[in-house]
Amino acid sequence: MTADADQPTSRLISRRGVLTGAAGLAGAMVTSGALAGCGSDTKTNAPGTTGADAMKRALPRYVPSTSVTPDIPSVTGANGAASDPAFLSYPANPVQTVAGVPGSGGTFVTRTPLWGAVPPSSGNTYYDAVNAALGSTLRMQPADGNTYVDNLPALFASGRLPDWTQIPSWANQKLNLGAAVDRFVDLTPHLAGDNVAKYPNLANIPSAAWQAGVWNGRLYGIPSFSSPNNFPGYLFYRKDLFEAAGISPAVKSAEDLFAAGKQLTDPNAGRWAFDDLWPFLLFPFQVVSTWNPDPGGKLVHQYETPGMIEAINFAARLAKAGYVHPDALAGNTANGQQRFWSGKVAISAGGTGAMDGEDAKGGTAANPNYSRQAFNVFDAAGSTPVIQLGPGASWFSYLNRDLSDAKVQECLAIANFLAAPYGSKEYLLVNFGAAGVDYTIDEGNAILTQQGQKDVATSFQFLVSGPQATLVKNGFSQVAKDYAAWQADAVKYAVRPMFFAMNITEPPQYAAIGQQVEDTIKDVRNGRKSIDDYRAAVDAWRKQGGDELRKFYEGIRDKHGTGQ
Amino acid sequence: MTMTTTPATGVRSPRRDTRRPPWEERPTPGGQAAKGTILFVVLAVVLVPLYAVVLTSLSDQESINLAGGMVLVPHHLTLESYRAIFSNSLIVHSLLVSLTITVVGTVFSMVTTVLCAYGLSRPRSFGHRAILMALVVTMFFSGGIIPTFMVVSSLGGYDRYWSLILPSAVSVFNIIVMRGFFTHTAQDLIDAARVDGAGDWRILWSVVLPTSRAVVAVITLFYAVGYWNSFFNALLYLPDNGKWPLQMIIYTYTLQGNFMPGTGAVSGQHLGHQALAPLSLQMAVVTLTLIPILVAYPFVQKHFTKGMLIGAIKG
Amino acid sequence: MTWRMQIRRDRTLLVMTAPVLVLLALFAYVPMVGSVMAFQQYSVYTGFWESDWVGMATFQQLLGDALFWQAFENTLVISAVQLLLYFPVPIALALLLNSIISGKVRSFVQSVVYLPHFFSWVLVITIFQQMLGGAGALNSLLRRHGFEPWDIMTDPGTFTYLLTAQAVWKEAGWGIIVFLAALAAIDQQLYESAAVDGAGRWRRLWHVTLPGMRAVIVLMLVLRLGNALTVGFEQMLIQRDAVGRDAAEVIDTFAYYYGVVNNNFSYGAAAGLFKGLLSLVLILAANRLAHAFGEDGLYRR
Repeated sequence: MTADADQPTSRLISRRGVLTGAAGLAGAMVTSGALAGCGSDTKTNAPGTTGADAMKRALPRYVPSTSVTPDIPSVTGANGAASDPAFLSYPANPVQTVAGVPGSGGTFVTRTPLWGAVPPSSGNTYYDAVNAALGSTLRMQPADGNTYVDNLPALFASGRLPDWTQIPSWANQKLNLGAAVDRFVDLTPHLAGDNVAKYPNLANIPSAAWQAGVWNGRLYGIPSFSSPNNFPGYLFYRKDLFEAAGISPAVKSAEDLFAAGKQLTDPNAGRWAFDDLWPFLLFPFQVVSTWNPDPGGKLVHQYETPGMIEAINFAARLAKAGYVHPDALAGNTANGQQRFWSGKVAISAGGTGAMDGEDAKGGTAANPNYSRQAFNVFDAAGSTPVIQLGPGASWFSYLNRDLSDAKVQECLAIANFLAAPYGSKEYLLVNFGAAGVDYTIDEGNAILTQQGQKDVATSFQFLVSGPQATLVKNGFSQVAKDYAAWQADAVKYAVRPMFFAMNITEPPQYAAIGQQVEDTIKDVRNGRKSIDDYRAAVDAWRKQGGDELRKFYEGIRDKHGTGQ
Repeated sequence: MTMTTTPATGVRSPRRDTRRPPWEERPTPGGQAAKGTILFVVLAVVLVPLYAVVLTSLSDQESINLAGGMVLVPHHLTLESYRAIFSNSLIVHSLLVSLTITVVGTVFSMVTTVLCAYGLSRPRSFGHRAILMALVVTMFFSGGIIPTFMVVSSLGGYDRYWSLILPSAVSVFNIIVMRGFFTHTAQDLIDAARVDGAGDWRILWSVVLPTSRAVVAVITLFYAVGYWNSFFNALLYLPDNGKWPLQMIIYTYTLQGNFMPGTGAVSGQHLGHQALAPLSLQMAVVTLTLIPILVAYPFVQKHFTKGMLIGAIKG
Repeated sequence: MTWRMQIRRDRTLLVMTAPVLVLLALFAYVPMVGSVMAFQQYSVYTGFWESDWVGMATFQQLLGDALFWQAFENTLVISAVQLLLYFPVPIALALLLNSIISGKVRSFVQSVVYLPHFFSWVLVITIFQQMLGGAGALNSLLRRHGFEPWDIMTDPGTFTYLLTAQAVWKEAGWGIIVFLAALAAIDQQLYESAAVDGAGRWRRLWHVTLPGMRAVIVLMLVLRLGNALTVGFEQMLIQRDAVGRDAAEVIDTFAYYYGVVNNNFSYGAAAGLFKGLLSLVLILAANRLAHAFGEDGLYRR
């Protein structure tokens, strides 16, 4: 089916599959890079990738909204990265960005994930207020976030897809979505280029954020939570504990980090310096991209880079020195935040969004001096640091193909309303519900009422939302300022990984070959195995399909470019 | 021999289990001490963590931060976690759903299970081994989630309450256990009933069930607990949370404060939402799961009282 | 007797099994047809009718995988250890409970010991971590008194015993219920006659209690052997990072990591079929063994 049809794994492909025209077409899509076509004839293995030129044709034109001025403006960094604008209070006179009622009375069933308590579906003042303003009925059905992606295949298989579905792009590979985009509406005619001008709030979402919603050269996905600084995460430290121990938080190398670990660890007091820092320990060791070009033009997997080995060795060194909290070594991630709040660890790692007013509220509960800060981006050897830049958005919603053209336009008009930027009237309604019922304004920021706490949940935002902004939560304005300052510094070192924001669905037979390498990395980091075992695991990975995967990606690079 | 269908009115006093029978020898001090030690250890090993769970559910974030995890010494007690869960307006309805599902489901499962277990328990009856085999096979082979979903969905179970009951109404394990007990019902009682002209329905109702109260109680407990605690079917088949059972609603509270995968964002906690201590909330969920079980168990337990029935019937 | 006559004779019994058979046919046997995906390169988007057939290729891949056999071996070892160290515990506990004369104490103990069954594995392992982990109660005590700490929770060498201890803590109390029911079914007159004949408490245990429980013990043993290839999936998943794959990979986690995580449904189905087949063989063998010892097992010989 693919270029490597003579490789052993192609045994999986049936004779019938090779003989049918459909499979032949799918093969052609990989090997010759055919870009056109809506993909409806493709069989199971279409990667769904789009090259740079076709991408340009599919993307909506970015027309930034100028209606609201942030308190701390966005700072532009390297490689298209920029910090989020920060607001210290909600504008006193919010602007209206949508005139009239966008909907025309349709009812749409939706499906979105939710990590949290689910609000009632009927008699919900928040849903009702938003639907009244929309002039349509969105039937919100938030589902358990933890199992959200696992339960989607059953809906696909039984033909029970809702009208409007959130499918996060981090699940694309698992769902093999490249083979399923034809179940959804091709939005290219409605939104590509200047067509998006009809929907100014959608046009306010940067072009880069739409990129991962493009499949086979056509636009399918509508982005949520877009940001020009989607970093996977970084290392945090407790500023108050550093100050108490008299250590400078200006960590500039791996040795600085190790030295801080020595000073902060005291098992007899139940205190260890580090929580589990993997995989964010990779960035200081310059590992930011799964695939990397070598001077000869061959692709090299991050498993095969020297930075990877250094990072693993360093993590093992921290563990062997006894600086890592035993619960973290035992894989207990669930209580990681609690360990940090309790001061059982002083340095942890995770999503950058952890640095917000919610965290400050929890952390200051027992210790008013609590302060979570992120290290400035640093390099292990002290040279120019890097941090991996993620795609402009990783949450996309899709419209069901069965919707009529009129209904699709209604949905897009609704989307335009839902995507209203921070500072607008619509944003308040979509995020906080009805004024006076679900929220009140307190010290310049919206606070949910008792009613609002019951009824409001992150739901409409998964269908579409405007660009992210840094906000004050629970009154911790210093946290918002610190976070904005960290972002402004970090964007200078942003690096785009190879195949940045490109949709590439790998052939499923390679899906699991990395598992034994990941397991071995864990073993080496915890000191159970040696780095030689790691090298052996990588050799096995190459034989089990890693080399074929390399060819697959080299093929993608040759046909579609690298997304830089 | 007289047969009585009213149990527990036997030759022995119903309170006999609280006293030592006359023929039993006095306990030895050494034996008592050993027994006491084992029981003490067993109880401590269960009760201490249980205490920590309940206390943590009643603690505020400050206490949890100070303890660094589960709370063992009370500091600030609060009902905030329980208030948060019970303020959910879906709770009352979901409780109703759970109760209905548990009662209807347990009755349905028990009727089918008892009938099937008895139907397979008569020695040398036609086809019982083949049927038993057909049952056993389902213990080890399953089509997986997707085919099951497709079947339930094409039968119209999607978004309907019966999808919480029918797909998992039968537990082959329970049938086999119950059948095991049924086969050991005293054969002379059954023979006597046959002589009196009783058919299989009568025998099941008047002989087998009354002598099998303990196992019926056990299997009822198994089914009821299963229905009460299950939310997997709701997760799959009920998209509308207005139909969710209690456990499903409660479960969503444990998701609060998770990180949204693939982004740097904390999920589940809306902007401006009051941040509740995830740990105390999770422990409150555990505690809430235990309460109905604690309430229901004594009703089951009384059927384990030894010597209540056999004597009654044989007497 | 011809089979027609037999059917006529036993028709009531057959009718009684019908509801269960209908339910299982609908919700177990029809979905089982989906197992054909093990012989396909199944995709939810093309469905069962259209997905490409690959014959035994998935099985070849599975059975040719050294990691699978490692998981298989781990499963058998863990299962064997649990059979020896876990299986007798509920029986012993049930006997102990049964020997308590005071009804109040007995009900109290009984209502306490079965509660851990309702704890999730996540919580059980968290509790063990807080007690036995490197930062837990035991090791804090050791450190305070100048001893070397021993992190049991991350020791791959003793992991099998840790698993068993966790299983005992969580499930043993719940497991006694079936045995209590068996004890309740023993005729009290047998005890009295034995006592009158001069049998002491140990001889009564040996000659009355254990024979009375034997059938149920054997039945539970047969069922346990049938499930020998199923060992604490969630328990393994949560502790995999702590002790590493080599110690914690069992068949179910293997199928999860190499099938489910990546939605490689065909691989997962193949692993499921293989495991199901072996389990069936195991339970039938166990049943045969029970018959050889003159016991009923699943059905009377």
